[in-house]
Amino acid sequence: MISLRAGRISLLLGLVLLFMSCATLEKGIDAVSAVDASDVEDAVKVTQAVRKSFAEITEGEEYYIGRAVAALILSRYPVYDNPSVTAYINRVGQTVAIHSERPEIYAGYHFLVLDTDEVNALAAPGGFIFITKGLLKRCRNEEMIANILSHEVGHVAAKHGLQSIKKSRLVDAFKVIGETAARRFGPEELAELTTLFEEALGDIVEKLIERGYDRKYEFEADKLGVEGAAVTGYDPKGMAAFLQTMVDDSAGQEGKGWFKTHPSAQDRLGKVTKQIEGITPLPSEQKVRTDRFQQAMKSLS
Amino acid sequence: MNKKSRIRASIFAVLIILVTFLIAENLFVKVQSARLHKEPKFYAAAIATLKAGESVVKISSQAGWYRVRTAGGIEGWLHSSAVQTKKVDLVTMDKSLKEKASAEEVALASKGFNEQVEQEYKARHKDISFAWVDKMLAITVSPEQLRKFLEEGKLAEFGGGP
Repeated sequence: MISLRAGRISLLLGLVLLFMSCATLEKGIDAVSAVDASDVEDAVKVTQAVRKSFAEITEGEEYYIGRAVAALILSRYPVYDNPSVTAYINRVGQTVAIHSERPEIYAGYHFLVLDTDEVNALAAPGGFIFITKGLLKRCRNEEMIANILSHEVGHVAAKHGLQSIKKSRLVDAFKVIGETAARRFGPEELAELTTLFEEALGDIVEKLIERGYDRKYEFEADKLGVEGAAVTGYDPKGMAAFLQTMVDDSAGQEGKGWFKTHPSAQDRLGKVTKQIEGITPLPSEQKVRTDRFQQAMKSLS
Repeated sequence: MNKKSRIRASIFAVLIILVTFLIAENLFVKVQSARLHKEPKFYAAAIATLKAGESVVKISSQAGWYRVRTAGGIEGWLHSSAVQTKKVDLVTMDKSLKEKASAEEVALASKGFNEQVEQEYKARHKDISFAWVDKMLAITVSPEQLRKFLEEGKLAEFGGGP
């Protein structure tokens, strides 16, 4: 009897507290717009002071770094401005991106074709992904394109570009950001931060275009790419088929594009083949997809 | 244990349950804009678009998706990669702490490598054009186009998933 009464009192109190909590919750949400400047200053200082590595780069910062890396890539390669091919590549790209480990990123994934016969694909941080016309010409079906784009999405999802930024550079940048509490940077801070930004871009572009990512990142992107493509319903053997074309053609091309910046296609093919053997059930190539691929590529000059 | 102790223990238990319940409830959009979908699928129709920093209340979750309610009372699905939880906002009853957590959110959205840094970078490198970067961002695939592409290609749940 006593415990029943205690239970009722608790229930009543619980309900009262629930209403109180909800009211407090609403006030808390309202407080977001009523923050005073000193709170912002304190919060920024505290937050920036503890940032140390690439993992703490915000989604917004990743986007701005990616925009500039994309602009630098586009300063080296002309765009292949073919709306129907671009639309098709973006559909294939989005299809694999939504099945990746990071489907939502700050401004989404976007894909563009570069007008060069060089065989290459590049992924800037923040989801700016490029594939060359030379690489498209090597693809025989949608499965191959999907696997390649899935590999590039893997680089973005795993933040391989951001990991190319030298740690000391990031620590310096976080320090500058942490030292200022104003909403806008003063001239000196802005100059210093922009120099660090330029240097960070240099770190990424050097890896992306000049030297290539570390082998472990390429292998990881292959793994993520194959997984993503298979989950989407694409035959992951599309990746093996593409790598086989690279093995067949690698003689004499070591110094260009993909050949310069990626580990040996033979090594990658071996790992990918082993991974595919473990995938069950294995999706297979569909005629309807190969037909639409051929249709889309008709205008590829 | 006497009556008062039992009552206190019960109240304490209810409070713990309430706090636990509230911790998991509030989510903040961390991407520039996120589509609120009618169903937990990227190809499902978008019923609203949420901006970075907007808060929503979590109702339930399902395979990487959250069913949420917006401040305007609209209910729909957001993918977990589009949001982050801010537990401290909800559990702390200390006003200044709560404001600081919110301030941090607001400040982080505009600090660091941001538009101001990009403008300065552009001023230093007039030869680097961002025109195609902006054109690239304008290339989008709508949920309807995505659904059609998946369906026609017999992909994912339309016939291709493992």
